Amino acid sequence: MGKAFEQAAALILSGDRELWSILAVTARMSLCSSLAALALGVPLGIWLGACSFPGRRALLVVNRTLMGTPPVVCGLLFYLLFSGVGPFRRLRLLFTVPVMILAQVTLITPLVVGNLESYVTAVAPPVRETARGLGLPPWKVFLLLVNECLYPIFSVYLLAFARAIAEVGAVSMVGGGIAWKTNVMTTAIMQYTNRGDFSKAIALGIILMALSLGVNLLVSLLQGGVRR
Amino acid sequence: MNFPAFQKSYGRRTVLAMPDFALEPGRVCAVLGANGAGKSTLAKVLAGAVPADGGQRVVPARVTVGYLPQRSFPFRMTVRQNLLVTGGGRQRAEELLSALGLSPLADRRAALLSGGELARMSLARALMRPCRLLILDEPTAAMDMESTVLAEGLLQRTCRETGRTLLLVTHSLQQARRTADDALFLHRGRLLEQGPAGRVLYQPDRPETKEFLDFYGS
Repeated sequence: MGKAFEQAAALILSGDRELWSILAVTARMSLCSSLAALALGVPLGIWLGACSFPGRRALLVVNRTLMGTPPVVCGLLFYLLFSGVGPFRRLRLLFTVPVMILAQVTLITPLVVGNLESYVTAVAPPVRETARGLGLPPWKVFLLLVNECLYPIFSVYLLAFARAIAEVGAVSMVGGGIAWKTNVMTTAIMQYTNRGDFSKAIALGIILMALSLGVNLLVSLLQGGVRR
Repeated sequence: MNFPAFQKSYGRRTVLAMPDFALEPGRVCAVLGANGAGKSTLAKVLAGAVPADGGQRVVPARVTVGYLPQRSFPFRMTVRQNLLVTGGGRQRAEELLSALGLSPLADRRAALLSGGELARMSLARALMRPCRLLILDEPTAAMDMESTVLAEGLLQRTCRETGRTLLLVTHSLQQARRTADDALFLHRGRLLEQGPAGRVLYQPDRPETKEFLDFYGS
């Protein structure tokens, strides 16, 4: 075990090209999917939290169900959609990074929506009542709500990124873990472990944890600037 | 300014049943009553924050209404920005900040204000909007005596100078006596008395009002 850690440290310091390829694919996939989920989920979460309309409860139930979607089920769905018998086969996206991003956006967006909706449900009534008393137009009320939600938006982004970078089920099914192309850290850790190449698996594990820590620190710093 | 009769119920419970009533322009009308009398419900219905039963429109569309709820929300910005977000001019904002002793706090974040300071900021923000009917729900409840007197003076001046009608919901009989020209007395969701403050607040007709005055005036 100790030797594996030594080898892992040496591997990280050596600048192994395959390792850098895995890191680059992971970064591209996690950043794109978490940002896309945020772009979709923030307006949806605010809308569901702030507005009352027929069918809102049903939408909340659907979203809460989607929050618990098993990644392999999501992976299976996208595999079927983009495989040789699926409706989107002509796009030839199976085993590419874009379809991995699509699958992750599908998994993460309900988490963003659900978390933001809970916060907005609590904060929207007093904001709306105050804004109505001041005669503010609806677009201004929406902007004020977004402004009130900046801090939770950062927290939700952290959650989305953590889910994206640590996800393995869906990305291995639709990405295939192809070396130099779709292999991300989680799928690579599985492959190296299966091959008995523990030093590389541990090296990736250390980098994964360090990246997660780095993103957490960065977001914490940004959150510090978003004062109440 | 005439208002038609309306009711407000939550479920099967009617919390407010108002006959038709009128408010005089440029005057301060205090709404008094014990807890649960329906004062805040009256303010909310008139402000359009909650609908009257049957979705009835109580305030005519031509009447612009400003409303300060009991728990006004401080937006996540500075005190000055909280006033400017209403779209009123910078000069008006500075005048109101100064009138309520908020100028030294203008660049402070609203979330860092004390309860009394927050109440003053909320009142200043509510006064930014030009409107014909201004409804204030317990605007000075969190203020100290000095700030309360400042606020009352500002409200009276504003009504006189702009011709605005002010509906002041308060549980303070002393405040009503100091500031109001007219008064409404609510008891268990019903309007028991309305008229000049000098009569309603000193020589009421109804025993419930007398009991209220005896209790709160002593």
